[in-house]
Amino acid sequence: MHREEAFALWVLRACALFLVVAMASLVAYLGYQASGLFTIDQVSLGEFLTSFRFDPDLNHVGAAVFLLGSLSVTGLALLIGGPLGVAVAIFLSEIAPPALASVLTLTIELLVGIPSVVYGWLGLLVVVPFVRATSLTSGFGFLAAGLVLGVMILPTVVALSLEALRAQPQSLREGSLALGATRWETICHVLLPAARAGLGVAFLLGIARAIGETLAVQMVIGNASVFPHDLFHAAATLPTEIVLDMAGAPPGSLLQHALFAMACVLLGISLLLVLLVRMIARRS
Amino acid sequence: MEYFLRRRRQWGNLVALACFWMSAILVMVLIVALLGWLVWSGASALSWSFLTSVPNETGAGGGIGPEIFNSFYLLFLTLFFTVPLALAVALYLEEYAQPGIVASAIQLAAEALATVPSIVMGLFGLLVFVFVLRWRFSALGGALTLTLLNLPTMMRMTQQALHAVPGSLREASLALGATKWRTIIHVVIPGAIAPLTTGIVLIAGRIFGETAALIYTAGVSVSNANPYDFGLFHPAETLSVHLWYTHAEGVAVDAQRIGSGSAVVLVAMVVIFNVLARLIGNFFRRRTSGR
Repeated sequence: MHREEAFALWVLRACALFLVVAMASLVAYLGYQASGLFTIDQVSLGEFLTSFRFDPDLNHVGAAVFLLGSLSVTGLALLIGGPLGVAVAIFLSEIAPPALASVLTLTIELLVGIPSVVYGWLGLLVVVPFVRATSLTSGFGFLAAGLVLGVMILPTVVALSLEALRAQPQSLREGSLALGATRWETICHVLLPAARAGLGVAFLLGIARAIGETLAVQMVIGNASVFPHDLFHAAATLPTEIVLDMAGAPPGSLLQHALFAMACVLLGISLLLVLLVRMIARRS
Repeated sequence: MEYFLRRRRQWGNLVALACFWMSAILVMVLIVALLGWLVWSGASALSWSFLTSVPNETGAGGGIGPEIFNSFYLLFLTLFFTVPLALAVALYLEEYAQPGIVASAIQLAAEALATVPSIVMGLFGLLVFVFVLRWRFSALGGALTLTLLNLPTMMRMTQQALHAVPGSLREASLALGATKWRTIIHVVIPGAIAPLTTGIVLIAGRIFGETAALIYTAGVSVSNANPYDFGLFHPAETLSVHLWYTHAEGVAVDAQRIGSGSAVVLVAMVVIFNVLARLIGNFFRRRTSGR
């Protein structure tokens, strides 16, 4: 009997240890591959992060184009999906009749599960032709990618904002209404300030989803390793460049090292976002 | 004066409420239009031969039979690794570990792992399974990469399920003389079975649609020897990867038809997994509440 107990505990311990080892080796392996860029290929970190020239055949691997591309597309997506998501969450928790709210919540939950390639496919067949028709360009570019990503992060933002709003005590609303405030004033001056930590988390996790998104963006952004001067021309982000170039990168080459270094940058941004979420959660 | 101020405030309120209604209607119209368009364009592409025949890389008339098979095969393999592993770690954290450095290190590792973007996880899979272990693109490599990707979420859901089991049940079992492990096997896990099953079905939907992590681990082609191959070390392109590949790199002439058909199958599967999760939850709730 005691041996069974001890054995079970050891198995559970080993599984828990595996999780820690997996995460540690992920960081170590990717970091080691990326370090080749700085040790073997003698590229400086500053050049890698700030140079806009990406031309691996001529030994230029500046990733600034992709870094800036990732940040711009994510910002655009947040501009589209963020306010709309919070507005829908407010509608669901404060205004909608209960039957409508439950139907809409169900549909939005369904949207969370739709695979990212399907969003990319919809972007390719609906968004890109729409942008093409309105702007007289190819249609592939920042705007198409931002629109697709904005719709993609919408369910995440709605679900988390809704959670934050519903967690506010009913007495807050009653107190404000009893003082003669209108519903809009109650929402704007009482509820939103009270739920700001939760809303911040909703935005941060929306950003996290947008910045790591690969295929939905790759299908509509046009994939050009230059930084475009407007929203209607082809661009690229860190994940789209990785997924496109990895297949043709010879092992141990400059290009491969650069792609792994870009993956590390992406990983770093994601970890930073989670750290922020943790800090917010701990403070409130 | 006061009258006008009150009027202005009421107008402001009405305008704001109208804006909220409009944004909700906009999102509803968007959802209905997108899903409707997807189903309408996909329905014409669907046929029995499309769902069962092998793909054609260059000409017209290719199907998605092997891709559907691979999607389910990888789903099964991934769940086979993910569920026991997540259960073990969750049991350790919830039932055994004392709060301290070890427990918080495990929790931190899980949270960090949860944030890794799927393309980065795919590169890690490429490094470990293709470069180091030299498996080439394989079903097993893909499934293990997906396991790492989904382990944190499954673990969190398992932890919540275990946490919801009342402590009095554990105490009653221990008081009857059962050992801790026996209590877990016979009392705690059966008590958490409803949220556990719901969680497994929800995670299954995510695994089914995952793409970016599979491109460089399970590959973008089906097995040469036999398209319906149970071999662990053969390439295994799934349906979602196929949808991407036909458009990004492929040269099939009827890419539009393949895309529409694959997309509608993927969405249909997600809907089925969601409904299933809800039904299972309701079934267990009715059974345990005795009504």
